[in-house]
Amino acid sequence: MPVPVAPALAPPPPHISVACTHCGDACPDAPIRLPAEPGLAFCCQGCRAVYELLAANRLCTYYRLDAHPGQKMKTVELPGRFDYLDAEAVQAQLLAFRSPTLARITFSIPQMHCASCIWLLENLFKLDPGISSSRVNFLRKELTVSYQPAATTLKKVVKLLAAVGYEPQITLAELGAQPHAASRTLYYQLGIAAFGFGNVMLLAFPEYFSFAGQLQSTFGRFFGGLSFLLALPVLLVSARGFYRSAWQGLRQRYINLDFPISLGLTALFMTSVFEVLTQRGPGYFDSFTGLVFFMLIGKWVQQRSYDALRFDRDFTSYFPVAVTRLTTAGEESVSVKELRAGQRIRVRHQEIIPADAVLRRGAGQIDYSFVSGESEPVARQAGDLLYAGGRQMGEAVELEVVREVSQGYLTQLWNNPAFQKEKQPSLETYADKVGRYFVGLTLTLALGAVAYWYPQNPAMALRAFTSVLVIACPCALSLATPFALGAALRVLGRRKFYLKNSAVVETLGRADTLVFDKTGTLTDVKKSVVEYVGPPLSPGQMQAVAAVVRQSTHPLSQRLATELPASSLAVADFTETPGQGVRGTVAGVVVRVGTAAFVGAAAAEAATEAAGPAQSGVYFRLGEASGRYLFRNVYRDSLRPVLAALGTRYRLAVLSGDNDTEQARLRELFGPTAEIHFRQTPQNKLEYIAQLKKAGRTVVMVGDGLNDAGALQCADAGIALTDTLTNFSPACDAILEADNFGQLATMLGFSRTCLRIVLATFALSFVYNGIGLTLAVQGRFTPIVSAILMPISSLSVMVFATLLVRLAARRRGL
Amino acid sequence: MSIIFLLIGISLLVALTFLGAFFWAVRSGQYEDDYTPAVRMLFEEETEPDIPPGGSAA
Repeated sequence: MPVPVAPALAPPPPHISVACTHCGDACPDAPIRLPAEPGLAFCCQGCRAVYELLAANRLCTYYRLDAHPGQKMKTVELPGRFDYLDAEAVQAQLLAFRSPTLARITFSIPQMHCASCIWLLENLFKLDPGISSSRVNFLRKELTVSYQPAATTLKKVVKLLAAVGYEPQITLAELGAQPHAASRTLYYQLGIAAFGFGNVMLLAFPEYFSFAGQLQSTFGRFFGGLSFLLALPVLLVSARGFYRSAWQGLRQRYINLDFPISLGLTALFMTSVFEVLTQRGPGYFDSFTGLVFFMLIGKWVQQRSYDALRFDRDFTSYFPVAVTRLTTAGEESVSVKELRAGQRIRVRHQEIIPADAVLRRGAGQIDYSFVSGESEPVARQAGDLLYAGGRQMGEAVELEVVREVSQGYLTQLWNNPAFQKEKQPSLETYADKVGRYFVGLTLTLALGAVAYWYPQNPAMALRAFTSVLVIACPCALSLATPFALGAALRVLGRRKFYLKNSAVVETLGRADTLVFDKTGTLTDVKKSVVEYVGPPLSPGQMQAVAAVVRQSTHPLSQRLATELPASSLAVADFTETPGQGVRGTVAGVVVRVGTAAFVGAAAAEAATEAAGPAQSGVYFRLGEASGRYLFRNVYRDSLRPVLAALGTRYRLAVLSGDNDTEQARLRELFGPTAEIHFRQTPQNKLEYIAQLKKAGRTVVMVGDGLNDAGALQCADAGIALTDTLTNFSPACDAILEADNFGQLATMLGFSRTCLRIVLATFALSFVYNGIGLTLAVQGRFTPIVSAILMPISSLSVMVFATLLVRLAARRRGL
Repeated sequence: MSIIFLLIGISLLVALTFLGAFFWAVRSGQYEDDYTPAVRMLFEEETEPDIPPGGSAA
């Protein structure tokens, strides 16, 4: 039962602090109250509607689990927005399971954030009896809904979710790509290794205690055989990943850290089999299984990352699933992929243009901020070419498609080689580099030991050789990186800086060049400053202007409305001319707000003289009074200190898609050495980064929009800045919440410290390897030494790395 | 001392049972979301007496 959500305008700045019962935002001067329950205040009709819906269905527990759990209901309900969900083709692609009696679908709902959300989403069946069950996976922000197609429809389910403030994200990327089952292989491998380790260790005990000597002589063969049986699955299943990785490295003529690990594991296993078969002893099966177990823990630590965040989104995640196609028979919803050149489509307010198209009817007011970085919507007339990715603001327009979605200007970027291949780690990790020397060193030592022992004692030579190879297994070394960087990942995650994986920490730590996008990255989109130019206004006049702009949904009007005082004046005969402006009559005076031409040339000229050209603004005329409001980009508050801290260490650059009006200010902020480029297309940005990389620099790109996607992908590390994590962010290596931009310098410094910690941990593990090697070349590396040295080295490396990173984080106040 | 064979056999059997239980847990997806179940178990099952959250508007 969808509830019509009334258009809700942004509330004025808070004067009194009455929190909305639903969303917790500050309510306007006169909050909306329910006649039945006057104690509850609401900030807007949308929030009230949700409350009423939940109250009617006895679902008010929602408000008790968490304070103000709701999402502010701000989007204007568009008729027919979800019509495409009725289309057979769309359903076939979206539904995970379908039968006449049951259908199942998994939605991505990034808005869910608290226990209340989980509770409400799992109680959807109380709102729609056709829903048989709904289940939340909070970490992935997914909701799996099962419903009876006879009783309800997909469209109704989505509408219901939207009505309670949890509109699912349904984009082109979700079509066809059903939720990927998380890889469970590592868990199986870990389980088997733990099972083998635990049991083999028990069987190995008699060997280590002299009082059990008699036991050992009786059961030695049995214990040995059993240990072998237990260790075999560990070798075949659990250790497979190391062998595969080593083999892949070898095929690319490259020795990575997994090569010495595989070598050591093989030596360990073969020696043990040999010892058991010849009844020389119980072998090293306990060390072998233990090594695999500990190293898998390292892998697991490394693998744990942020499931709910998508780091690999391309344009398809941004594009809608369906568009309204106009045919001779009327409107119909079709999948975006079915669009062909020459077809007519209708794009409504707030909708995204899915393909390059020519405007045929209506006034286009296209917001390209996400594509090109231009901060203001641009006006387009009939006959103009509109590029895909822009967002229409204002009235519905009719377009004629000129290129299919996959051929568009924006999507062409994705044909760049940077996107084609799986991103290779362009930097060789420290661990791999060290691993290579490690192999050379240990092989030399092993051969040296053989050469030394062979003339006097051939048996000893073999023992020394295998012992050295066993020690060559850099188990502790392989744990250093995952544990140090994994701890760093969690520290940064607490500060809302989410890295794709721990290798990104290493890249960030080694970066020497930082490239910034301007719009949305350096500037704060939410906080443009509205500046008034013109003769002073009386409070009454300001209220009159406020009353008129509040009627409009145009972004500039809305921004202006939040800036002006609250107004309850009535507006008569309000009209909005899209792309031009708005006019209305307040208390008998005509108020016009809009472009220079719209309000009248004389007024505009006067205002332009005062303000100077080349700045976007809104003119207004109110009776005889006239003036102009200017919207200026505001740089983030923290920008200056961040740049001051970064400037000493990094080479800085700015790439802006905008025009060069801000050149002087940027130059002043970034200093004389920084490179600042304007009017950069997405392709330009990508090429600029590629050039820097070719010059041997390690580049970190900080951007936010689709226009930076190429550069983010091409850079050694791409950081996407986002205001809310639920928003779209392009493919990147790291996502930083914009509020924490001020800590960027600290975070980069922390990454550098973490690299030093990794090196220190390497040193520690070398100490253990040194001890082991000393014993090994002398032929004194016995199973019991191995059984003591191995866990101590692994555990101490884990603890050492984690503690050092924590300490470093505390020192830097992270 | 041949009782050792039996005891080790039993202990292995117990260990295998736990391994099997672990596999089952992984298969049923329990390791994919370790947050939601902790919250879910605190929800009341019955239909609640519908009291509006009077205090939260203050």
